Amino acid sequence: MSKKVLTVDDDPDIIAFVKTVLEENGYSPIVARNGEVGLSLARDEKPDLVILDVLMPKQSGIRMYRELKSDEAMKDIPVVILSGIAKRTFLRSQEALTEFGDQSVPEPDVYIEKPVEPDELAETVKRLIG
Amino acid sequence: MESRKLLFVTQFEELWFDALQSLMDLRKAEFNHVVFLHVIEREKVAMHRGKGYLKDEETKLREIANIRFIDWAESLFEQGMEVGAYIVVGNPLPKIISTAEEELVDLIVTGRHKRGKIEELYAGSETVEILRRTSTPVLVYKYMLPSGKVNERPFERPILAMDGSPASHRAVDYLLKFKEIIKDVIVINVAGEKDIKGSSAMEIQATRKEQRLKLDEVCDRLRDGGIEADAHLYVGNICEQIEKAAREREATMIVAGATGKSGLKEIFIGNVAKNLAQYSTFPTLLVPANIKPAIK
Repeated sequence: MSKKVLTVDDDPDIIAFVKTVLEENGYSPIVARNGEVGLSLARDEKPDLVILDVLMPKQSGIRMYRELKSDEAMKDIPVVILSGIAKRTFLRSQEALTEFGDQSVPEPDVYIEKPVEPDELAETVKRLIG
Repeated sequence: MESRKLLFVTQFEELWFDALQSLMDLRKAEFNHVVFLHVIEREKVAMHRGKGYLKDEETKLREIANIRFIDWAESLFEQGMEVGAYIVVGNPLPKIISTAEEELVDLIVTGRHKRGKIEELYAGSETVEILRRTSTPVLVYKYMLPSGKVNERPFERPILAMDGSPASHRAVDYLLKFKEIIKDVIVINVAGEKDIKGSSAMEIQATRKEQRLKLDEVCDRLRDGGIEADAHLYVGNICEQIEKAAREREATMIVAGATGKSGLKEIFIGNVAKNLAQYSTFPTLLVPANIKPAIK
């Protein structure tokens, strides 16, 4: 059975692009348009990998990532951040939230700043989940 | 920890990032989530003779807005805030309302749009229409002081215009949520000159006393909630007097209730809200009659 990859992004063009790359490489894509729906899908579908944007409506990728990594059942799912937001900002925001009293979370497995080439994305997914 | 949401509506004409930064004091009032909204007006990309729908133009405008929002969001994320963004094509009014409902925001911040002479006739009505159709307070944010400096603490010393309406009483409740950033509130009531005409001196004094007592009750409610307050009575044109009071009392913002129901009194109040939104030089916080349950 093909491995499930959850993509969370509010940009329909990015969703279509990532979905195509995943399908062409034999993965089974699931999509969500914001962190709130993404988190709910992650709980229900138990994907093998999450590809996550940062700046989104409802709930950002920063919060969704924290929720994923703080949940015993989901914390081991590898996460690729794919965003226009700089990696430095992502890490600083996580540090700031930890300072405000939240628990610390590990760095994401891979951080790719948009845009991404199809080959780079496919190779990253393959390296993480085979 | 409670977290409140602010919807920051910008057309990149009237509100920039320095405007948002000057509102960061709101974090002390639990506003930790900012949602950006930019509406690309349909006529900018809609069907043009011989060209059809301008898809490339839409893409360009979306990406310009996206670049700006990413830059703004990075600054806020690094402070530990939560940020979301919407870039949509359509008519601003329904998009503002639908986004406010979708995100369940606690405050909508808009600017005063630059307008031509004909559009001036309708100026301010957009704000009143938002207030009619949502239960969310709207801050029409004029963040540049007449001196040219940024108003760094708009919530520090608001002037609250009371008219006895349910909306103005809800404005009192709403202000109590900001007690961490408000130093004191100037509570005023403006009596129209026609309310005075034809009455005897005794009647006028009795009316003054009655109004004063009502304002004192409002001040007591604010003090009980931890905010200093002081009451003043004015007579004359409502909008002019509110503006005058704000200047002479060195207020940082005007706060008023705004009702969206029909009826002569409400239309009148709606006009006050509309005029304050468009013509006052102060940031204007307008609170509708029905505030959503979360903020009550």
